[in-house]
Amino acid sequence: MAMKVNVLNFESRKCPAFALPSAVGSCRYPKFFVASTLPSRSKPAREARVQVTHSMPPHKIEILKSIEGWAHDNILVHLKPVEKCWQPQDFLPDPASDGFHDQVKELRERAKEIPDDYFVVLVGNMVTEEALPTYLTMLNTIDGMRDETGTDATPWAIWARAWTAEENRHGDLLNKYLYLSGRVDMKQVEKTVQYLVGSGMDPAMENNPYLGSIYTSFQERATFMVHGNMARQAMEHGSIKLAQICGTIAADEKRHETAYTKIAGKLFEVDPDTTMLAFANMMKKKISMPAHLMYDGRDDNLFHHFWAVDQRLGIYTAGDYADILEHMVARWKVENITGLSAEGQEAQDYVCNLSPRIRRLGERAREMAKQAPKVPFSWIYDREVQL
Amino acid sequence: MASVSANFVCSRTSIRLPNQMITSKSLRLATVGWGRTPGFPRLTSSRFQISCAAKQETVDKVCEIVRKQLALPADKEITPQTTFTDLGADSLDTVEIVMGLEEEFDITVQEDNQDNISCIQEAADLIEQLVANKS
Repeated sequence: MAMKVNVLNFESRKCPAFALPSAVGSCRYPKFFVASTLPSRSKPAREARVQVTHSMPPHKIEILKSIEGWAHDNILVHLKPVEKCWQPQDFLPDPASDGFHDQVKELRERAKEIPDDYFVVLVGNMVTEEALPTYLTMLNTIDGMRDETGTDATPWAIWARAWTAEENRHGDLLNKYLYLSGRVDMKQVEKTVQYLVGSGMDPAMENNPYLGSIYTSFQERATFMVHGNMARQAMEHGSIKLAQICGTIAADEKRHETAYTKIAGKLFEVDPDTTMLAFANMMKKKISMPAHLMYDGRDDNLFHHFWAVDQRLGIYTAGDYADILEHMVARWKVENITGLSAEGQEAQDYVCNLSPRIRRLGERAREMAKQAPKVPFSWIYDREVQL
Repeated sequence: MASVSANFVCSRTSIRLPNQMITSKSLRLATVGWGRTPGFPRLTSSRFQISCAAKQETVDKVCEIVRKQLALPADKEITPQTTFTDLGADSLDTVEIVMGLEEEFDITVQEDNQDNISCIQEAADLIEQLVANKS
């Protein structure tokens, strides 16, 4: 059974850790994603978080080994052969063609018609994608799954490398689009990427593949929804090309979601009690966004501000978070799992009853929302956007 | 079953925390934080100042709401100084307790105040102040 640990993120006796609309920026929706912060070079440490590591009991490695054959046959099929993959060039002006300058001009004309707030979210998404080195690092922190040599032949290592390779195109494509669009301060955007890669991320996976499988399933679905919503809104703003870009990225994320969800599903099948505890554990800690340590050298609350715009535009909301949770509960048939320990049953009750609580929280935050201020974003030359 | 807890006292502006290895089997203390943590979680050391203590009736009502939210057994003792975290409330529970108090007393708790409620007495005191401000 996985060690159950209560990780108290900053919870001191004085502090209820769950916050609804913050005093800064009066965000409409609850910021209930874990967002611990790590020091950048220029900023001193302020808060500390006790991290738990290697929370999976060592003997459970055997379970991971026992499903490697299954993973080889059922997970790697969700990778696309490179020769069949799209590349960023497929969606961008062709520098080798005579029409290059006209194509760029067209791209910039379309981009002019897209509002600043959309671009703020697009930049945030691009920065998130560009922090890919961190995500491969995180996959390789996982006991039983890590790539020990860089060319391991386990299905986990093969998947992690190929997944990274597929994801790499997302950041490249968004980067080039933003560069050509002329709508954003690329240096500030690039600085943000550098800060973020330097900061890492803290999803509290504890080197634990059970926790990791839950986190990745949830996160890939979230990112699928985000890019899908960006595609839809790009269409509404009249940019078919950008809609195609975001839609194509979303399709990749969907395929990835399928794979990660299958891994978690298999763990539910072979070790239901541990996986159930892991599910409750991750939901209690909350699924943090990968770019939660985002910083641009100027705005101490950058992630919070980006997040507020993200939610206002309906790209990813508290309701979406609850939807994903419900989807996972249904997908893994969590309600029907039997033979659980007492703790396992408690965990089962928790996850099965959590989504309405989250929705209520979201509704309350919406009701309580004061007039949100406008804040400047360095990514758009300090132009202001409504939170 | 292992549990990990850490109590830090940090004001919003004070900064330095040592980066140290806790010599326990699988724990590591990470220094974190340059930016203001977006809402969750935050530390505040500024104690909420109350002008006078709440009525017993209010304290009792708060206890009732807390008991219900946390599904506490009837024989579980609660004092006004008992903190929510003492009772096993997680962050979601605490927010829902506040929501329950808002409904019961027909008040709105602003976020600044919410951060300073960590025990029964503080909740009751805040409620009375908000109710008094209303009338």
